[in-house]
Amino acid sequence: MARVVYDGVVKRFGEVAALRDFSLDIPDGEFMVFVGPSGSGKTTALRLIAGLETVTSGEIRVGEQVVNRLAPRDRDIAMVFQDYALYPQMTVFQNLAFSLKMRKMPRQEIERHVQHAADMLDIGKLLQRKPRELSGGQRQRVALGRALVREPKVFLMDEPLSNLDAKLRVQTRTEIKHLQEEIATTTIYVTHDQVEAMTMGDRVAVMNDGVLEQVGDTRTVYEHPANVFVAGFIGSPAMSFATVGATMRGDQLELRQGALSLTVASTQLPADGVPAEVVVGVRPEHAHLWSEGEGLVGPVSGRAEYVEMLGRETLIGVLCGDQQRFSVLADADTPVRPGHEVRFGIDPGRLYLFDPLTEQALTVL
Amino acid sequence: MSELPAVVASRAVADGGRRRRERLPGEPRRIGYLYIAPAFLLFAAFNLVPLVQGINVSLYNWDGISPATWVGFANYGEFFTSPDIRSGYLHVLILMIFYSFLPIIIGLFLAAVMSRIRIRGLTFFRMLLFLPLVITDVVTAVAWIWIYDATGPLSTTLKAVGLGHFVPSAGWLGDFNTALPAVGVFGMWGQFGFCLILFLAGVMKIPATLYEAARVDGANAVREFFAVTLPGLRYELQVVLVLTVIGTLGTFDEIYVLTAGGPGTSTTVPAYLVWRRAFQTGQVGSAAALGIILMLIIFAVTYGINRLMERGAET
Amino acid sequence: MTTNSRAQITLNYALIIACSLIAIYPLVGVVLASLYPSGTSSSPSGFALPPTFAWHNYVAAWDQGKFAASFTTSIIVAAVMVPASVVLSVVAGYAFATMHFRGSKVIFYLFILGLIIPTEATIVPLFYDVRALHLLDTYWALILLEVSGELAFGVFWMRAAFLSAPPSLLEAARIDGASSWQTMRKVMVPFARPAILTLAVLTFADSWNEFFLALVFTVSHTTAPAGLASFSGRYTTNIPLVSAGAVIVAVPILIVFIIFQREFMRGMLTGAVKG
Repeated sequence: MARVVYDGVVKRFGEVAALRDFSLDIPDGEFMVFVGPSGSGKTTALRLIAGLETVTSGEIRVGEQVVNRLAPRDRDIAMVFQDYALYPQMTVFQNLAFSLKMRKMPRQEIERHVQHAADMLDIGKLLQRKPRELSGGQRQRVALGRALVREPKVFLMDEPLSNLDAKLRVQTRTEIKHLQEEIATTTIYVTHDQVEAMTMGDRVAVMNDGVLEQVGDTRTVYEHPANVFVAGFIGSPAMSFATVGATMRGDQLELRQGALSLTVASTQLPADGVPAEVVVGVRPEHAHLWSEGEGLVGPVSGRAEYVEMLGRETLIGVLCGDQQRFSVLADADTPVRPGHEVRFGIDPGRLYLFDPLTEQALTVL
Repeated sequence: MSELPAVVASRAVADGGRRRRERLPGEPRRIGYLYIAPAFLLFAAFNLVPLVQGINVSLYNWDGISPATWVGFANYGEFFTSPDIRSGYLHVLILMIFYSFLPIIIGLFLAAVMSRIRIRGLTFFRMLLFLPLVITDVVTAVAWIWIYDATGPLSTTLKAVGLGHFVPSAGWLGDFNTALPAVGVFGMWGQFGFCLILFLAGVMKIPATLYEAARVDGANAVREFFAVTLPGLRYELQVVLVLTVIGTLGTFDEIYVLTAGGPGTSTTVPAYLVWRRAFQTGQVGSAAALGIILMLIIFAVTYGINRLMERGAET
Repeated sequence: MTTNSRAQITLNYALIIACSLIAIYPLVGVVLASLYPSGTSSSPSGFALPPTFAWHNYVAAWDQGKFAASFTTSIIVAAVMVPASVVLSVVAGYAFATMHFRGSKVIFYLFILGLIIPTEATIVPLFYDVRALHLLDTYWALILLEVSGELAFGVFWMRAAFLSAPPSLLEAARIDGASSWQTMRKVMVPFARPAILTLAVLTFADSWNEFFLALVFTVSHTTAPAGLASFSGRYTTNIPLVSAGAVIVAVPILIVFIIFQREFMRGMLTGAVKG
């Protein structure tokens, strides 16, 4: 059990910077999820803790110890790989026992530890089988077991669910979460799936192109995204964006671009005003057909480009003017069809404004 | 089979380091050297060092006993002047027709004709076809001594069909005109099974859709062969070419057993010349030079074939 | 050309049977020839069975060909040479595949060079070197030379085999605390077992079949093929006797080939096709 700290960590592969000035403090026992698209540096950050890559500059600490130069075996960490990396010629028991044997643990104790981990993961019956005789889900558990058995200070997981089918993924997700709560070990979990991140993490670190865009608990990251990237990455279906001109008129903010026109009561404007152009963002779940809501900000007019039946609700893609596109979530039985004129409004307090140049969040109206 | 390494080498060089090139945390610095030391030391002692020594010896005239005299590149000059050496290389050139080109053509033809229908029990047939290459060549050579005997099966068959006047009285290996082709046929027999198997496997890998497309375009069997089969076998062709050509250049065992270079000097080959000059006629320096020349020729041929085949692949 | 007609299938079988017959004819023939009465100057035709089966030819050949001694040599040389060569290749191949150390690329290319150097280029100085070491006509001469001769291929082969392992396997072992040696022994060697077996089988074949080195470096302690060559030279007119000798020498490698067919095929075909 230990705290993990990244302190100004930079990782370069030749000319390419995989991780830029990455600083993060992960308290003991936290389930931290690194999430981002491929190439964002999340796996690199994970591998740096594991000791599978060397730090170019900066420090990483596990517990209070600087581990930059330590071999993986001396860092007291355990890792679950995306492809499980089970030793193919060994039985499940031997796979689980391997690290303990390397530490010269006596036979009796090894058996105890292995049995304990096997019980926790319900793989006791598989101990004498070889990996090739197991299903994907079973192999995944063995991979987890191999990490558990070590009782390390930190668990590292590199997209462990991505090779499972959707249903199994959902099921295993909850199990991993419960497991972690039970053993209360600091865990760093890497995924590209933001749903996974939101459901599992105590805190979420959103990464993009080697940079830490935002870190916070799920609620914060969802309701107060720090910039355009985080806003667009977290939440599904994704937030809609449009670049509009902004003008203050008294205590109203007028947003206008082409045929799009919106006026908002300006209660939350930043002290130094608003730039002439802003990026507005709206989550589909906060955009409703004008006929379906009350007290909405708007209306905004446009034409339906596509209508997707999602079962529980319907997603309507609305084209305003010739360029501005918004996604609106409507009731399942909405009569709107592609080509129809659509009018929609936005829940108050759910209109996000971003600076068009820095892409930082300005305010929410 | 010992020519296999040459092929492997000719393709090996490009295979570089796809792994990371930096040291990982906590990894012991010099341990790699410990792992490769035994192998490398042995290899250097008995392969690299002698190579350098060989180059040295080749610059002298030496009979192995009395002191050597410096002659510079004279031994190498003999490559151009000595009829012995020239005929040795001429002989391997002729042998190449039997060891390389003919088996390849036969293999290609048969593979094309047999097309791509699965043959049941292919493993069994494969085993039989590989036997000539796997069995010690001294053994197979002895078998062919029997075949080529004046009273052996080849002769008796010919006599039986009334062609007995073709049979040389000294046996096929004892006649100046027939000895080299006889060795050639031996080699052809040895190589053709391997070529056939390799090409059969290669043909199986050509997508059926290519043949169908050719058929639709109105190609007949011959056209199909040149348009689809042959290009599809380019890789196998390259491999087999290098293997068989290099193998022919290094021929020794069967010459020693079948003909000892004779009758006269009608079946001498470079490797045999090296052996004879080094250990029979006391021309040690010259033998060393011949060995080096052989190596350079092998280099050049491998490079040439690969270049040619790769250039062809780009057209 | 891709029709599945009856005619095509029959043709295929006919062709491959014909080719197989051609391939084994000399071998079958020589077995038949060996069973003819010894000393006949007229050669067996190879198509007819001998009048009686002269099994005693084999006993005579074994004695007069001194095969007891040459087999012993061949077996001892192979028994030492194969494990030594394979072990050295595995260890070195592992290092090239998984470790980074300065000059590893250069040293590996030197090994590749060894693949292209023919024996003829080094045989002359080798002879005098071996003589200087007082190793002429000893098992060690053959063992050392054959091992070093196989190393280039062996190292290349094992490096390729280890490179084909998923990197995560190695990483998992590192994290589990295995040293490089432990990782090699407990993870990578089991992983590459088929490749190692193939290498061992090919190496054995090369050793058993080795003639040139035996000819140059040994006289009294010579190997089976060399023994056969001189036997054949001494009894050229006694075809049945010599044929018996040939069959005797062929049997061990034939047995190994039949048992390890798969490995042979893998070695000869993938080595050639995959490079």
